[in-house]
Amino acid sequence: MSVIRTEDLGKTYKGGTAALRGLDLTVNEAEVFGFLGPNGAGKSTTIQLLLNFLRPSTGKAYLFDQPVSCPETRSRLGYLPESVNLHSYYSGHRLLELYGGLLGIRRAARSRQAREVLERVGLLEAGGQTVSTYSKGMLQRLGLAQALLNDPDLLILDEPTSNLDPVARRDFRDILLELKASGKTVFICSHILSEVESVCDRVAILQQGNLNQVGTLEELSAARGCRIAVGDLTAEALEALAATAARVALERGVATIVCADEKMRREVEQVLQQNGVAIERVEIEKQSLEEIFFAAIGREETQ
Amino acid sequence: MSAVLLIAGDSIRALLHQRLLVALMLVTLGLTVLFSVLLTEAKEWVAQNLSNAGLDQTGRLDAKNLNQMRTGIDMAGSFFMAGFYWFTALGGTVVTLFICASAVATDIRRGTIRIVLAKPVSRAQFLLGKYCGAVAVMFGYSLLIGIALVLFAYANELNLNLAARYAPWLMFCHNLMVGSVALLLSLLIHPLLAAVVAYFASATFLSSPNSLYSILPSHDRINVFTLIMAGKLITPADIALLTLYAFVVTAIFLLLALWRFHTKELI
Repeated sequence: MSVIRTEDLGKTYKGGTAALRGLDLTVNEAEVFGFLGPNGAGKSTTIQLLLNFLRPSTGKAYLFDQPVSCPETRSRLGYLPESVNLHSYYSGHRLLELYGGLLGIRRAARSRQAREVLERVGLLEAGGQTVSTYSKGMLQRLGLAQALLNDPDLLILDEPTSNLDPVARRDFRDILLELKASGKTVFICSHILSEVESVCDRVAILQQGNLNQVGTLEELSAARGCRIAVGDLTAEALEALAATAARVALERGVATIVCADEKMRREVEQVLQQNGVAIERVEIEKQSLEEIFFAAIGREETQ
Repeated sequence: MSAVLLIAGDSIRALLHQRLLVALMLVTLGLTVLFSVLLTEAKEWVAQNLSNAGLDQTGRLDAKNLNQMRTGIDMAGSFFMAGFYWFTALGGTVVTLFICASAVATDIRRGTIRIVLAKPVSRAQFLLGKYCGAVAVMFGYSLLIGIALVLFAYANELNLNLAARYAPWLMFCHNLMVGSVALLLSLLIHPLLAAVVAYFASATFLSSPNSLYSILPSHDRINVFTLIMAGKLITPADIALLTLYAFVVTAIFLLLALWRFHTKELI
């Protein structure tokens, strides 16, 4: 079952600004999904469409295979917005009790669950304080606490660590890893690429409202390039390889063909097979998410 | 239903934490008390003058002058009562406009609506909860006005007719209508402008016939000031009819507000 599914989802604001164009995306159960892109790429618009805050100009969005307009889907959802704006006149604990009521948690269980999530985010001692006295970091933690209150099957996090200090960030990452281990689906939108890289199963890169890339880090890395170590290269094979635009180099005494992307790799493998050259080893270029991200953005910009 | 009640409770709490609103209510109530004291003093002064004017050359009250004096005092009583209501109704309207125009708009502006609507709460539940909270505060205000009325009437030894007795309830009904108009408008235009437009809708359409009479609520029917000044005697059936009228108008405007809120984008 898909937890999030969008079909040709698009949003054009009044004035003609196209924030999102034809997004087709599926996030599966028990997946930690990173949603990346520079400012103005359409990430927040996508989240707002998924939460039914905005109406799509084209296409449809589904949560748990139901239209996003269905309020019941949100009983299985936890959401942490980029700017955590909470009712400042409550204490942290009382506010969570209110949200617990809105989530349909029974009165008797509300207080206990509120205490549990406060403890989980490290705010148990400050739970009695009025929210207006909280620091930005505390507000972010309280925001996360309300998102975890109903033990959601899907957690949508929009820039979750933007106001957190390094210690709190580490705590937050631990919580995410716990959620991942317990089979929860997390949809995380962040600018901190190292954070996404450490927890995400798959990522999508969005640019100017278009889906640029989507896949696991390995898939995206493979798409970027690889090195094929081969045995003896014949003159015919070298001539045929020259037509593929792959670079042939001698690395540590081994003939190596450097492929820029998956398509080139397939072409090279075909040439080698036709010329009877044995492949000794294929090394997928290990790229960090940051490298993948900037390559994707850079490539788009040069087009 | 539970979600509506929770949001209504939160709405009351939010409104009572708005310093400007609390200050406005306190100032209105304070001015009402001050106004009623001044009216009481003025009434005594008028009664004294009428009494002096009613004495004959021997210093006694003759029958003709006595009747004239009684009529004058009754008229003055009606005038003061109407003045009291005019002032308190105005205060109530301002408070209502403040509450209803900001009920949903404040949550949208502050962004607190996003976390609430990310819960299994429909937009209709949210809007109704907010309106119910506003109505509860308005009702509390009307109750205070009712208590002030009883004290005012007791202090002035006024004999209240039915219109005057039910005036706080009629004012509350009037505020329900004005509030629903302000709520609808606040979903279309800036809340401050919505409050101003809703106020002029209530103030301008006092008299009928009016070209917009058929689509806008006629507050003239519930205008306590006019009823008391005109000395109109109304029956319990009239009160029930006016209440029904206000409830129907409120329901229509609430339905329009629900439709608008359902289609509104929360940017």
